[in-house]
Amino acid sequence: MSDGLSAEFTRADVRAAGVALSRGGRTLVRGLNFAAAPGEALAITGPNGSGKTTLLRAVAGFIRPDAGEIHVEPASDVKIAWLGHAEGLKPAETVRDALTFHAALQGASPELIEPVMERMAVAHLARRACGTLSAGQRRRTALARLALSNAGLWILDEPTAPLDAVSRARLGALIADYRAAGGVVIATTHAALDWPDQTGLDLSDAAREARSA
Amino acid sequence: MSAALALFSRELKLAWAGGGGPAGPAAFNLAALALAPLAIGPDGDTLAAAGPGVIAFAALLATLQPAERLFGEDAADGTLELYALSGAGLATAVLMKTLAFTLAVFWPIAPIAFIAALAYGLEAGPALILSLALLLAAPGLALIAAFAGALAAGLKRAGLLIALIAAPLQVPLLVFAAGAGRAAAEGTGLEGANLMMAAAGSLAALALAPLGAAAALRARLE
Repeated sequence: MSDGLSAEFTRADVRAAGVALSRGGRTLVRGLNFAAAPGEALAITGPNGSGKTTLLRAVAGFIRPDAGEIHVEPASDVKIAWLGHAEGLKPAETVRDALTFHAALQGASPELIEPVMERMAVAHLARRACGTLSAGQRRRTALARLALSNAGLWILDEPTAPLDAVSRARLGALIADYRAAGGVVIATTHAALDWPDQTGLDLSDAAREARSA
Repeated sequence: MSAALALFSRELKLAWAGGGGPAGPAAFNLAALALAPLAIGPDGDTLAAAGPGVIAFAALLATLQPAERLFGEDAADGTLELYALSGAGLATAVLMKTLAFTLAVFWPIAPIAFIAALAYGLEAGPALILSLALLLAAPGLALIAAFAGALAAGLKRAGLLIALIAAPLQVPLLVFAAGAGRAAAEGTGLEGANLMMAAAGSLAALALAPLGAAAALRARLE
């Protein structure tokens, strides 16, 4: 295993068939099919308001689809790591304390915390309170949390949005290592994610179908 | 370190340091206790008779004061999603968070009750019983406030909603905590029963409130 990634996870298989999603009483997408096996990355694209984030929340199990089914197998064992628009960092907590907590919560080895911080370039911020970080630094801290999450499926909502070019490359390398270890990544994006062999899922068609129905 | 223990120690640290820690509710508690005698009047016997009730009521108000931020911040900053997906589960997270919060933020309730009881003219014995009763009732009061806080998490004017939901549910704890102090002051010999009922109320809240709060928070995630 390469440094700076906790990879003691159950491999996940994601399958979705005929999914329809709505938000606030308005149907967003209909008839959506996709699948992701261990090592695969699914990049979800589509215009604003087309249901990308809603789809991610459905895969994570926060909301139930109106129709169709989303399976994350094996349902009893797979852990899911989530990175939304809000990073889930506490303003008063230091970066190291936050990562130490998440490592303990997810059963990752505490010895991995330092290599992971090095890898995501937050080691020099270890003693800074999360409330004093810039948007990019917050995101890098959240990505370090993902690397410690021991989850078989990473769900990322616009992971690159606040990142500069160097950090994007770091994220790309992290994703590559995670997929090599058998992890599944499902991410929404506006920017082109230059991750090799990613599967694309454009919501435009499913959204058009929902509007016409 | 187990997930539950990790949650408890993190929330303990955050509650201690964040948002003024125990200072806010304690100030609320003290202000209510300082103002009540001005309204009741200077008669010593009346004050001593009213003491247990006023002190228990002030403690109840103190538990409502920070209920809005208990889950409101977690809902806003994305922590809720992370807790929901953690292996520990939302109910465990709610339980650990509320217990840590009770310990870090509501610990002054008991010493304040003891000192206030003496100031209201109760003897040391009944003051100690009242303080003990509130120590037993505080986790229950906090858990019910947390349940209300979870139902109102992320809403506008959550404070009003929290008071309306939590106050009726907190009534039994208020009655038995104040009852223990009054029984001790009047020498009716019923303080033991009242203490046990206060403890029972807290245990019932311990069993039910985390599940209710977790269900409310899961609905909030939709």
